[in-house]
Amino acid sequence: MATKILTVDDSRTIRLIVGRAFQPFDCQIIEATNGEEGLVAAAREQPDLIVLDVTMPVMDGVTMLVKLKEDPELRRIPVIMLTAEAGHENVAEIGKLGARDYLIKPFRENQLIERVSRIVELRKKTAPCDATQP
Amino acid sequence: MNQTIELSSASEFMTQHVVSVFDTMLSLRATVSTKAGLPLSAERVTGTAGFGGDNVNGLLYLHLSAATAARLASAMLRMPSEEIPENEINDVVGEVTNMLIGGLKSWLTNCGAPCAMSTPAIIRGTCYTIETSSDVKSGVSVFESEAGIVAVEIHIRLE
Repeated sequence: MATKILTVDDSRTIRLIVGRAFQPFDCQIIEATNGEEGLVAAAREQPDLIVLDVTMPVMDGVTMLVKLKEDPELRRIPVIMLTAEAGHENVAEIGKLGARDYLIKPFRENQLIERVSRIVELRKKTAPCDATQP
Repeated sequence: MNQTIELSSASEFMTQHVVSVFDTMLSLRATVSTKAGLPLSAERVTGTAGFGGDNVNGLLYLHLSAATAARLASAMLRMPSEEIPENEINDVVGEVTNMLIGGLKSWLTNCGAPCAMSTPAIIRGTCYTIETSSDVKSGVSVFESEAGIVAVEIHIRLE
C-alpha cells in the first residue's frame, strides 16, 4: 500500500516541490492549502505523515498542529513542520507542540526525503512489467 | 537588545541569505552586482512582506522584471517558463520572498529584536516606485543570476 503523505501549504510551489520529491517512491500525495482544509483532509485520508507549513492564511500550521494533537483520532499522525523561520525559539515551540521534526526553508528535496524516511518507510516505485518481454 | 541593529549588517546578512535561497531552492548562482541597478525598465514584479515587533518593524521587497520572475519560476518548478501561468509565477516570487523574510526575522530575533512576519504579497506593474518616511532606513542590494537581475530592498524602523 502506498505511503500517504499530506502536504499542507498555501503555496502551490511548495506543494509541487513536496509532490515532486516523492515521485520516485510509492507515495500518495494529498494536498491542502491551509490548516482548516488540512484537518479535514487528515480526518478523511488518515495519512501516514503530514508535511505542514507554519505561516498560512485562514488557519496557520501551529494552530492546525495543536488541534491535531487534541484530536484522539488524529494525534498519532506524525508531523514535519516547514518553516522559513530558523530562530531557536520558533523551533523549540514547534517541538513542544508535538511536531516530530522540522525543516527550515530553503531546503533541498533530498533533505525532505531524509527527514520523512526517518519516520515512515519509503519504498521505491518498481518499474512496470512489460508483457512483451520474455 | 543584545546588539545594535544596523541596516548595513542586515544587508550583509541578507546578501548571504539570498545566495543561499537561490542555490538551495532554485539551483541558481546569485552574486552581488555593483554595476546593475534596480530592474526598472520592463514590466516588473515585486514580492513584499513585513515584519514587526516591540523594537523593530519594516518591509522587505524582492524586485525583478517579469521576464526574470518567469525564469525564476521555471527554475523552481522545473518547467519551461512559457508554460507557467502568471498566478504560479506570483506564487514562486511570494515563496522566495517568504524565505527571505523568514531568514531576516530569525536574524533580527538573534540580534535581540524578536518580531512577527506577514504573509507575502505581490505587486505587478510597469511604473512604480517605493518611498519611505524619514524615520525609516532603507537599503538595496542588487544581484546577478542566470535568471536575470534581482534586487532586495530592506526598510527598517527601529523603535
